[in-house]
Amino acid sequence: MSDTQYPAPAEAGAPQEPARRDFLEQGVKLASGAVVFFAGARALASSGGGAPGPKDNPFGEEYDWNEHRYAYVIDTKKCIGCGSCVRACRAENDVPDGFFRTWIERYIVGPEGSHVDSPNGGIDGFPPASVAFAAKKSFLVPKMCMHCTETPCVQVCPVGASYRTRDGVVMVDDQSCIGCGYCVQACPYGSRFLSPKTHTAEKCTWCYHRITKGLKPACVEVCPTQTRLFGDMKREDDPVRKIIETERVAILQPHLLTEPNCFYLHLDKEVR
Amino acid sequence: MPEISGFAFPNDIHVHWSLMIVMYPYITGFVAGSFIVTSLYHVFGRQEFKPIAKLSLAASFCFLLIAGMPLQLHLGHPERGIFVMITPHFTSAMAGFGLLYTTYLVIVALEVWFVWRQDIIEAARRARGLKRSLYKAMALWTYDSSPEAQEVDHKVITVLAGIGLPMACMLHGYVGFIFGAIKANPWWSTPLMPVIFLLSAAVSGIALLSVVYQVVSKLRRAPAEEPTVSALARWLWFFLILTITLELLEIIMLAYEKDESWHIISQLLTTRLEFSFITVQMIIGGMIPLILLGIVVMANKYMAPRLRNGLTVAASLLLLLQVFSMRWNVVIGGQLLSKSLRGLRSTYNPELFGREGVLMAIALFITPFVLMFLFDRLLPIHKAGEGAVPGEAKTGSAHV
Amino acid sequence: MEHSRHVFRIALVLVVAISAFVLLRTLFVPRTYGDYGPYRGGNVVEQAHVREPRHAGSDGCTSCHAKQAADRKTGGHKAVSCEVCHGPSGIHVQAGAVKGKMPVDRSYQLCARCHRKIEGRPEKFPQVVLDQHVPAALETGVCLQCHNPHSPKP
Repeated sequence: MSDTQYPAPAEAGAPQEPARRDFLEQGVKLASGAVVFFAGARALASSGGGAPGPKDNPFGEEYDWNEHRYAYVIDTKKCIGCGSCVRACRAENDVPDGFFRTWIERYIVGPEGSHVDSPNGGIDGFPPASVAFAAKKSFLVPKMCMHCTETPCVQVCPVGASYRTRDGVVMVDDQSCIGCGYCVQACPYGSRFLSPKTHTAEKCTWCYHRITKGLKPACVEVCPTQTRLFGDMKREDDPVRKIIETERVAILQPHLLTEPNCFYLHLDKEVR
Repeated sequence: MPEISGFAFPNDIHVHWSLMIVMYPYITGFVAGSFIVTSLYHVFGRQEFKPIAKLSLAASFCFLLIAGMPLQLHLGHPERGIFVMITPHFTSAMAGFGLLYTTYLVIVALEVWFVWRQDIIEAARRARGLKRSLYKAMALWTYDSSPEAQEVDHKVITVLAGIGLPMACMLHGYVGFIFGAIKANPWWSTPLMPVIFLLSAAVSGIALLSVVYQVVSKLRRAPAEEPTVSALARWLWFFLILTITLELLEIIMLAYEKDESWHIISQLLTTRLEFSFITVQMIIGGMIPLILLGIVVMANKYMAPRLRNGLTVAASLLLLLQVFSMRWNVVIGGQLLSKSLRGLRSTYNPELFGREGVLMAIALFITPFVLMFLFDRLLPIHKAGEGAVPGEAKTGSAHV
Repeated sequence: MEHSRHVFRIALVLVVAISAFVLLRTLFVPRTYGDYGPYRGGNVVEQAHVREPRHAGSDGCTSCHAKQAADRKTGGHKAVSCEVCHGPSGIHVQAGAVKGKMPVDRSYQLCARCHRKIEGRPEKFPQVVLDQHVPAALETGVCLQCHNPHSPKP
């Protein structure tokens, strides 16, 4: 079943961002040109000359991004490597072939060596494997964007096309992205790629179009073993928050101090 | 599909930074290196560089004019390239490019204007018709060529060169910073990176000028000044020693510290980059010119001009190759290793045609020489009437 | 100073050029840029509406497919969402209206994705070596001869 069977519906209610300009506003901007150059439009917004609109929450009534801060937990002991998450991600987000917003890695480890594979990101599951050494343990590790707090990718974006929302999601504005690829190089987890369709950077958004409607990301929705859990750190009774606060969780590449918001249970030292 | 040995993250198998990103530091290197040479005369008063002060300034200017082109060609959305200037995101090393590049361009353009101002005024007085209007506009309709005005020019040039030199160093040091500050990639992430880039920029700039100066002298049928050639060789040798030392130190540090990435980097160097790193960058482009220039420097007194010129040009051509391979090994090498530190992808082969292809890279390398030819037509690089045609100095051998 | 007129003149040209750039630049800054940080604030809502969700979860299936839903509640697949095997419901239903036919995959490969014995899969998870477990030829529908996919017994 190909993805082309369900084309994206027209953008519902998304404000278009064309070249329509308010000339009065431009007058104010012109007057404070030098300030604007270094401070950007933010200086104007705070001085009261900016565009009218919600300053604290871009959504109006439908959703408030100040009331959420999302987090993700992956229990590597539960993953069976079926690839449902990778397929669901592809179907939900039209991810181009050969590129991955999420993928699964398989580790086969013995005292003499280790073997890692991820055939086509694990989208069709895994075949039996044979390794040249005596394997003592093996496990599957789903990977995705870590939605870091200290984002190396956002830091290097030269035009501010990459950003982290207040509810904790790292996203790319494909209308602003110039396609330089710097963020792809800067991500230590290999979570970003340049889309051959849009020629801009693309990555996991935790299905922002779902979570802002109270749904779970597609990968969490379809995970048959509850390996993947999605939660909200601002909700008192949230099970994911409870795990992160009370269990022994690990993060990937902690030495890089990126402060990921995707946490792992039962992570092995072989995983990077 | 590239072949992978070991395990690479599934998104890590693409070389997004192509040949154009190799060309970019290569060309900026010429800009910075040539400017260092012109500053040796204008700021530090090294008289032996006087014969090539104008030539090197023109070279720096012409390379600078196209320095942004490879970046522009590489972007997924070239039409949005200007966003770097409109909404610069200042935590990004790349956003600094817009500001730094423009500032530096302004400084070099100003310096060009002041250095050639007398020629512009002369031409405005001599020429007729449309040409006359052009030169008048270029002179900004003031024609003060009194000794006092020339003294003012001289002072301004010294100040501009004094500002321009740190700017040139920053412009190129920052190119190294773009790579050196990527903590995700162990082959790039080292504070040595900006320094190495800067020193190799000096090497490439001086090497380029050594070659261009010889070619220009041949075309003008005027022998190259012996002190100038010796001085170029001396400075080239000096910068080469520093460059090679730091390039080796970087590897030795990784190996000695047994850094977690050393396992994969040693594989990278001995397999995928064996030819371009060990053979070209270190032996053919590094050790051989080091010996050749060492001979020129140490046996300078006993050397016939022909031999000295020959050895210097040979070493310079090899160094142009060395610096190109260094850029290649950094930019491409860093993308051959996966950030999983468990796998390498097969060697990247650039396309021949197309926006980011080999032909485009060659065109980019030739364009500054064409610009220099046009520059010379407009503002004579060597005093008018001597018929110097530096534009035909095509040193294409340093390429690919 | 009278011999420095050309210096002032080119300085003026420079000042004019810089001012022109700074003023022109403001015309091109997107309207919502900088509202919440150094990015185009309008993109946040655009992202939230980039498309309608395509996976709707199992609850939506129950109203029409009550039998299968009831079966599922009692068996080994009670925690497995319908969309794991059937694919996104967006193919089938959008905004309450039937859009198209839901593909039904009866191949043994679909079952094998989860239940084939492979390295890496947790030991306790039910899994079989295909050639040993299936006496017949490995072909579409072979698993369904013995197992009810909506309510498999161990």
